[in-house]
Amino acid sequence: MANVSDDWAGSRRGTRRAEPDRPQQRRARRVNWREARSGLLFVLPCFLLFVVFRFGPAIAGGVLAFTDYAIGGEAHWKGLANFRRLVDDPTFWSALRVTVIYTVLAVPLTMAVALGMALLVRRSFRGTKLLRSIFFLPVVTSLVLAGVIFTWVFSANGPWSSLMRLLGLPHGSWIADSRLVIPALVLVSVWSRFGYGMLILLARLQDIPTELEEAALTDGAGPVQRFRHIVLPHLRPALFFVAVIETTVSFQVFDTVYVMTSGGPVRASYTLVFALYDQGFHYFDLGYASAIGLALFVMTLIVALIQRSTLGRQQ
Amino acid sequence: MSLTSAPPGTRARPTDDAAHPRRRGWRYRPLRPGRAGTAARAVFLAVAALVTLFPFYAMVVLSFRPTGPVTFPRSLWPWPLSTEAYHQLLGAQNVLRWTLNTLVYAVVSVVAVLLLSSLAGYAFAKKRFPGKETMFWSFLAMLMVPYQITLIPTFIIIAKANGVDTYWGLILPSLANAQAVFLMRQFIQTLPDSLFEAARLDGCSELRVYRTIVLPLIRPILVTLGIFVFLWHWNDFLWPLVIGQSESMRTLTTGVASLQQQNVPLNMLLAGSVVAFVPIFLAYLMGQRYFAEGVTMSGIKG
Repeated sequence: MANVSDDWAGSRRGTRRAEPDRPQQRRARRVNWREARSGLLFVLPCFLLFVVFRFGPAIAGGVLAFTDYAIGGEAHWKGLANFRRLVDDPTFWSALRVTVIYTVLAVPLTMAVALGMALLVRRSFRGTKLLRSIFFLPVVTSLVLAGVIFTWVFSANGPWSSLMRLLGLPHGSWIADSRLVIPALVLVSVWSRFGYGMLILLARLQDIPTELEEAALTDGAGPVQRFRHIVLPHLRPALFFVAVIETTVSFQVFDTVYVMTSGGPVRASYTLVFALYDQGFHYFDLGYASAIGLALFVMTLIVALIQRSTLGRQQ
Repeated sequence: MSLTSAPPGTRARPTDDAAHPRRRGWRYRPLRPGRAGTAARAVFLAVAALVTLFPFYAMVVLSFRPTGPVTFPRSLWPWPLSTEAYHQLLGAQNVLRWTLNTLVYAVVSVVAVLLLSSLAGYAFAKKRFPGKETMFWSFLAMLMVPYQITLIPTFIIIAKANGVDTYWGLILPSLANAQAVFLMRQFIQTLPDSLFEAARLDGCSELRVYRTIVLPLIRPILVTLGIFVFLWHWNDFLWPLVIGQSESMRTLTTGVASLQQQNVPLNMLLAGSVVAFVPIFLAYLMGQRYFAEGVTMSGIKG
């Protein structure tokens, strides 16, 4: 294909993009067609991949949700049967609840840690670079590895349990406790994600003119006031961005759940994406799994809209 | 007011005490904390860094423990070292194959995504053709659709085409990367048109313009985007999990997860984790700046 485009493109030697003025209109149209051909050819490979692996599956996912398709079997139109089943399925509601609780805990906590760390490593001093790299290291680490090592950290005789015993808090294995398994997963998520938010916020913090804060300082503004009236307004767009990304990531939590808990104990960490995987690839109920996927999509949309109308409006 | 101006990111100079009587004698200057403030911050940050590093330390040290019961904190003492776990791992499991699979998955994807997205991004940014806006916005719309939703239909397509447990089945669907196209287009849009015009006037073919003008100019974004795509594939889990069903088609992430499902001893499981971690760690050490740029620029971790 490369050769083909080289050949025909070679024939347009000496042609140039048309100027927008009227006398050249006719010529412009001719040149545009050549430009259009090369443009289309450049986009084509990408576009084909998108049709087959993104647009097609996105539509198919919507359609499958109305069928009882199973691998190797035939698809029968079932109307809203899958959704009726979804509404009556306590497992689905529990998965929804678990996912929402996880997100509600993980997003603010991750953002708080990210913001605190960003403020602390903001001014450069000896070792800042090293510190930033250390805090960013978990972000590039696979969540599977994080899950494996944190399974040990949260085990009954592991470090976390010892620390909790020392502090007089609930100890024992947090991931074996149906009330504490979500907080445990949230902690893993904070560890793995805060460096990302920190770096985004740090970039914005460094845009704040030092003069602005110094002026506030000379006017007698304390650290809290300076944070509220100078730093926070400046950071709002970045905070919004991080909130959106973190919410998306939290909604789709899967890797750590798969590795650390397999959705247990007693489905206390059975999240939506884990439910989708479980229904699709253990029970091979692809229609039902697609219905869960559709529910996940709708939820993502709703949250995006809410975030846009609340956080986004203040910008 | 005599304010000193420092470029952003550098340490702020303290304001002149004499000019601000209210502040005179008060040693606390939040823009440049006093000794106590600096010390407190240093201690806090050091503790935070140790806490962040602790899981990595535990992973490495415990992987070098001889097989046996693990107790905290005694097992975290790095002696005696033993490579027993690594011998067992390499003897019993196909770790080298998993590493090769991961490399193929990541490297082929990086090259292909960069090529496809730079071609498309260039066309979207600098060329006019029918359907351009529609196509571009439909690409963008796919950023909103979580990839888990397309997981099942994509799996069915690959399964129908006998792509389960093949490299192409693993790689091909992940090449449709909307983010990459979007970022390429944004970047190329900032380049002046005159550069491409000049080359065309000199009689360059479209492909030559791409090769000799576009590619060198977009090198910075090729590096950052390349790192992001590499990381994404290296750490990808869900797709390799459903598509690589045989033992020999596992990647490092699904391989380590399978070790865990087989209930291998902890030291062996962690040895597998170390094997999966070392390449990305070395790459991170060498190109930290690009890692940070790539990940923050492209948003989401895989």
